[in-house]
Amino acid sequence: MKIIEVKNLTKVYKEHTAVDGISFDVEEGEMFAFLGENGAGKSTTINMLTTILKKTDGRAFICGHELGKEDDEIRKVNGIVFQNSVLDKKLSVKDNLLTRGSYYGLSKKQVLARLEPFSERFEMKDIWDRKYEKLSGGQRRRVDIMRALINNPKILFLDEPTTGLDPKSRKLVWDYINYLRKEHKMTIFLTTHYMEETRDADHVVILDKGKIITTGTPAELKTRYAHPRLVWYTPKGEDAENLIQHISSKYVYDADHYNIETDSNLTEFIFEHKDEIKDYEYVKGTMDDVFINLTGKELAS
Amino acid sequence: MKDFLGFTRRNLIIYFKDILAIFFSLLTSIIVFVLYLLFLKGTFVDALEATMNGLENFVSGGDIDMLANGILLTGILGTAMITVPYTCLQTIVKDRESGVDSDICATPLKRWKIILSYFTASTLCSFIMTSLILTVGLVVIGSMGDLHLSIGSYIAAYGMMFLGSVSSTALFMLIMLFFKTSSTSTAFFGILSAAAGFVIGAYIPLSQFSDGVQGFCNLFPATHITSLIRNILLSGITESIDSSIGGVDNGAFITAVKDTFSFNAHAFGTSFSGMNSVLYVGILALVCVAAMMVVYSKTYKK
Repeated sequence: MKIIEVKNLTKVYKEHTAVDGISFDVEEGEMFAFLGENGAGKSTTINMLTTILKKTDGRAFICGHELGKEDDEIRKVNGIVFQNSVLDKKLSVKDNLLTRGSYYGLSKKQVLARLEPFSERFEMKDIWDRKYEKLSGGQRRRVDIMRALINNPKILFLDEPTTGLDPKSRKLVWDYINYLRKEHKMTIFLTTHYMEETRDADHVVILDKGKIITTGTPAELKTRYAHPRLVWYTPKGEDAENLIQHISSKYVYDADHYNIETDSNLTEFIFEHKDEIKDYEYVKGTMDDVFINLTGKELAS
Repeated sequence: MKDFLGFTRRNLIIYFKDILAIFFSLLTSIIVFVLYLLFLKGTFVDALEATMNGLENFVSGGDIDMLANGILLTGILGTAMITVPYTCLQTIVKDRESGVDSDICATPLKRWKIILSYFTASTLCSFIMTSLILTVGLVVIGSMGDLHLSIGSYIAAYGMMFLGSVSSTALFMLIMLFFKTSSTSTAFFGILSAAAGFVIGAYIPLSQFSDGVQGFCNLFPATHITSLIRNILLSGITESIDSSIGGVDNGAFITAVKDTFSFNAHAFGTSFSGMNSVLYVGILALVCVAAMMVVYSKTYKK
C-alpha cells in the first residue's frame, strides 16, 4: 500500500526553484532514502511533506490525506527528526517531551504511555531529568527521535539524522532507526548525504538541483551506475601490472594496493592466479560511485 | 485547548527557568532602584520641596518621603512593563532562528493558537513579574508609613498591571516581526532598556522634556500606565497631604506635584485624563492584537 504519493511537487522561492516537479511513491513499512548534496532540495521536500512549507505546485498524499487540504490530519501521522536539534536547550528532557506531547493534545499520562515502549531501548531513564543543553550529541539525537515518536506516527521523517555525529553515535542512531523499522514496522523517510547510509534502504531517490535524476534499490543503482573493483594488495611491479592487463586497462596504484576497475567476472581469473593474488578485496561499486557517475560531483563523506 | 495551554506553559517556563533572562529583564528596574538610593531620591525630594512655597509647616517630611518612594515604585513598574514582555517575546525570534518554529508548525497546533500563545505567555510573564514587584514594593513602602490606600485602589493597581502587560506585549509582538536573528533583537533590547527609564520618566520627570519628546514617550503604553498607576498608588497620600494643608493653597501644591511628576500624560499640547489614557492603551492593544493576528499568520505560511 502506498503511504506517500507525490506528483509533480514543486517549490519556487522568488526566482529560485528548490524542488522542480518531482514525483515518487513510498510503500508502507519501507525505508525510503533521499540522496543528494546540500541544496539539492531534500529538506525542502521533507518540509513540504510535513506541512511546514507550502508547496508551489503539484499534489501529494500522505496516508491518503491530501497535502494543502488535510494538513491537520497529515500532522497527526507524521513524526520528524530535524537536521538540527529543535528542542528547548534550557528545559529538561522530561519538560521538552511533555510540552511537545501537549501540542498533539496529549496529557502527561498519555505522553508517558506513548513513550513507554521505547524508553528502555532508548535508555531514557538516565537522561530524563537532565537539561537538553547538557546532553552529548548522541544523547540529543536519541531525545530528538523520542520526540518524533510522541504522536505514534505512521511515517518517521529523518532529515540528515547523523550529520555531525561521531561514528559511535551514528551507529547508535542507526540501531534505533533499524529497531523502529523492524520492530514497529514504521515507514522511514530518510534524507542523507552520506552515501553508505542508503545501503539498507528499500528505495533510493537521487536528487540534484531539485530534480530526481534516478531512482531504484541500492543494488539496482550500483549495477546501473557503478563499476565493480578489484583491490589487490601487492607491491608495485611490472609482473603485477602485466597480470592486471588481462582483466582491465583501468587501474591505479594507491599506497599499498592496485585499484582495478573491471566489469569482468573475476572468480575464475583469481582462482587461476591464486598464487599471485593472495590478498585482495572485490568491491561491487559503492553508492558514492553511483552519485559521482550520475552527477559528476562528490558528496561529503 | 490542551495544545494551546501546553505551548503557553512552554513559553512561560522558557522565561522562568532562565535566571539570566529574568535578571536582564529586570536590570533597568534594578538600575532605577539603585540610582534612587544613590541620588534620585534627593532629586525627587528637592523637586517636591521646591513646589511647597511656604507650606513646610503643613507637609511632613514623612509624607514627602512616602510620595518620593511611591514615585520610585511606579518608575520601577513602568520600566519592568517594557523590559519583561520584550524579553519574554524574544522567544519568538529565538524559535524562528533555531528552527523550533518548524517543529511547532509540524504539529496539529493551529497557527493562530501559536501566535496567541506567545502573546498570552508574555502577558502572563509581565503580569506576574510586575505584580510581584508591586506587592513587594507595597509591603516595603507600607512598612515605612501609610499610603492611605483603599481595597479598591489595590485592585485597580493590579488591574493596571494587567492592562499594561497586555498592551506592552501587543506592541512588542509587532516589533518582534522585524528581527530575524536574536543578536539583532538583543541589540535592540540594549537600546530599549537604556531608554526605558527615560521613556516612562523614571529618571527625570517627563514634564522636564519638550512637548515633542513627551509626545513620543507617551506613544508607549507603559508611560500611560506609569501615569495611571501613579494616580492610583499616590491618590491616598496626596489627598492626605492636601487635607493636612487644609485648603490654604487651594490645592496648588498637589496640582504642582501632579504636573511635575506627570500624573497625567501630555502629548502634543494635549493632556490625557486617566480615562483617556486607559482608552488609548486599550485601543492600542486591540489594534496591535488585530494586526498581530493578520501579520503573524502570514509569516507562518511559508
